[in-house]
This record gives sequence, C-alpha cells and structure tokens, in this order.
Amino acid sequence: MSEIVGHPLFQGGLAPLVVALIVGFALARTRFAWLAIMPAYATMIALDTGFSLFPPTVARKTMAIGLLAPLVGIAADFYPRASRRIAVALVIVTALVSLWIFQTVLQNRDGANAIIAGAGVILFVAAMIAFMLRLRDDGVRAGAAGLGLGFAASIAGILSASIGALVAGAAIASACVAMLIVQVALSRMLAPGFTGTLPVGLLVALIAAGTQQLALLPWYALPLFLLVPLAAAMPVSHHRSSIVRATILAGYALAASAFPIGAAWYAARTAVQ
Amino acid sequence: MPTRLVILVLAATPLAATAAIDTYPLDPLHTSVSFAIDHLGLSMIHGRFSKYAGKITIDRVAKTGGVELVVETASVDTNDNDKGSRPRSRDEHLRSADFFNSAEFPRMTYKSTQVVFSGDTPTLVNGDLTLLGITKPVAITVDRFKCNPATATAKERCGGSASAKIKRSEFGMKRGIPNIGDEVLLSFGFEGDKE
Repeated sequence: MSEIVGHPLFQGGLAPLVVALIVGFALARTRFAWLAIMPAYATMIALDTGFSLFPPTVARKTMAIGLLAPLVGIAADFYPRASRRIAVALVIVTALVSLWIFQTVLQNRDGANAIIAGAGVILFVAAMIAFMLRLRDDGVRAGAAGLGLGFAASIAGILSASIGALVAGAAIASACVAMLIVQVALSRMLAPGFTGTLPVGLLVALIAAGTQQLALLPWYALPLFLLVPLAAAMPVSHHRSSIVRATILAGYALAASAFPIGAAWYAARTAVQ
Repeated sequence: MPTRLVILVLAATPLAATAAIDTYPLDPLHTSVSFAIDHLGLSMIHGRFSKYAGKITIDRVAKTGGVELVVETASVDTNDNDKGSRPRSRDEHLRSADFFNSAEFPRMTYKSTQVVFSGDTPTLVNGDLTLLGITKPVAITVDRFKCNPATATAKERCGGSASAKIKRSEFGMKRGIPNIGDEVLLSFGFEGDKE
C-alpha cells in the first residue's frame, strides 16, 4: 500500500484527480466549483513532501502562494469593480510576487545574471496569468488549458531532472481533467472565474519557472508554455456538445504542450556533460 | 625594574607559545568529503564533493578546538555524470531542487560547537550542520587523528579520518525515501599543514 501511496503517479495523478472530482461535483451548483483545484493540489503536497513553510524556499513559497491563490480568486470574483481592471491588477501583483518567490535564487547570482533572470521570470508569470485569466468565462477552455499546461510542466520537468515538477504538474493536469469531467457529466459549463484560472496559471508558471531556475529546463521553453492557453482559446463552436468541445480543446492544448516538452527534450539531448 | 620586566616576559613566553591555538587549513589535495546512502535496500551508493574549504583549530593545552567546513553542493559527484541515453544524469538530478537544490543553496556548512578529547587526541566533534537552509546538531566521530612533527623542510602536518550519520529528511531532503535511504553516512578524510 505504501508503495502505491509513495508513487509519483498516485501522488500527482490519481489522488488529486479523485479529490478534485469529489469537490468539483460537490460544489457544482455553486460559483465555487473550481475551488476543487486547491484541495487537489494540497493532496499532492500532503502525499509528496508534506506541508512546511520554513525555511521559505522557492518550493515552499510556491506551495503557500498556490494555496492562497484560489482565495484571492474568490475575492476578485466578488469584487464589484470592472473585471478587466482586476485582471490587470492580478497580473501585476502576481508578477511582483514571483520576484519575491525567486529572491533566494536570484540573490545567489551576480548582478547582470540576476537582473536578466528576474526580469524573465516576471515577464513569463505576467504573460501566463494574463493568458489564463482571458479564459475565466469558459470552464471548458480553462480546463483544457490547465490540462495542457500541467502535462507540459510535468513532462518537461522530468526531462529537466525534477521529480517535484513532474508530480506538481501532474496534480494541476489531473485537477483540470476532473473539472472537464464534471462539466461533461453535468452537460453544463462551470465558469472558473478568477477562482479557477488564477491558481492554475500561477502554479504552472511558478512550477515551470522553478524548473528553469532550480533544475535544467532551458529558458527558451518558458515562452513556449504560453502557446498552451493560446491554443485553448482557439475557435470551437459553442453549439457542439460539451464532450466534443472538451475533447477538441484538450486536443489543441495537448498539441501545444508538445512545444515546451520538445524544448526540454532538445535541451536534454544536446546537453554537454 | 626594566630588567625584572624583561625576565618576567621571557619567563612567560614559552607558556604563551604552548597555550597558542594551532590552525590547520584543510589541504584540498589530501582531504575528502564523501557520503554513502542505501539504494532499494540492496547496495550503498557512494558519492563525494569535489569543492570545499575549511580549517581545524586545536588548543592542545586547553583541550579545545574547532572545525569549520564549507562544501559547494554543486560539486556533488556519484560517478554518474554521464547521462548516456537518459535525459539527465544522477548527478544533475542531485543538484536540482529535488535534492541539494544547488541554485538556491549553493553551500552546506559545518561549524563545531565542542571538541571532545581523549588524552591529547580529539575523538568527537559536536557541531551544527546547515543544509538546505536548515541547521541541526550533528556529532562527528574522529576515527583517527595524528600529527607529524615539523621538519627542516616541512611544517607540522595533522590529519585523520572522521564519520557521522545524518537523516536527510530532517534537513527537508525527502525525495525518494524509502527507495533511496533516509540515513546518510558521511565520511571525512583530512590533512592540513600548521599555519
């Protein structure tokens, strides 16, 4: 039994999937169905490394921010101001938060390297959040994007010597698959709002940036991750059934995920010892 | 009066010399920092670090001393740096955030808090190991310690070997447990010329 529980595919795949399905179905009649992302991610952490905040490393700060993001998303969804302005504010805030998250890595680098790396992380996180938040009114698109992003972070992570990224990416992908299943099963789209798109976009961005900073993911893989939410935004008729829409959009997203995975594979193939 | 003062100073000089703390910077060519860890309950995987610096201090009269060691974690070497057809080698994986997290924690350090002597020989070092930003007390057993006296052409040289056991999970390094053991055996071989 402990062998199964300790396996990365259970920790990042099956367990988060089941948890997200249960929570997703339980909250499907409310506005908070996409909160299912949070317990799914928390399940992965509990099974993988356990909860710990000290010392505050990149991984621990990512965990804390990842668990906090859905709550920020709920507050943003309830905020009476224009949704577009809130989206812009969230992009700016999360980009700045990413600088704090990677501070301990950047301070080990010399001046120019630290500035370039910090600027790269900020731009990547900001772009990812901006692209994900654009999907906040369409649960099928957001689910497909989360599936593709989590899958890409997972496979690119293991190709870059990071089992942590493999498990965390798989957890996001599994949670998003669960949300697709809930929508297909109920034949009803569940708009993710900021509650769903903020944690998915932020977690994947931080996992991918962390794999680049702390493992061996090449820098040029990061912009390729952005193709995934763009692919999930491609046109698909609203008249099609939810299962067909989900299948087509998941196909788009998974096809786009081949680009960052390919970059990680290329870097591994050509790495000089 | 000045004569008495000179006599007093001269009389005190040998005592002062005897009580001096001797410092021995570690000689990297004759020092090793290595480890061994269980793999699947079958074999022990052995590894070492190739970059480190440190020093040993001894006060033989007061029976005190100290050990300072700084190890570059990116220099980890388990004789698997050639990835071959695999995406990444074991050493590359060990440097990542799954294990030593070298980009975030480039160094691990050991600083002694107490050196226990048996006669004139240090036998145990108590101190603090800082790894992955977590500091825990670690006792190092000095298995051998010997000094060769200075000669006309060489300084006094001391050296020996020491060992310790740690649980890596206590430092937040939990990846792979239990397939890759939690307990890590640390081994040190060291030599240094008296400064």
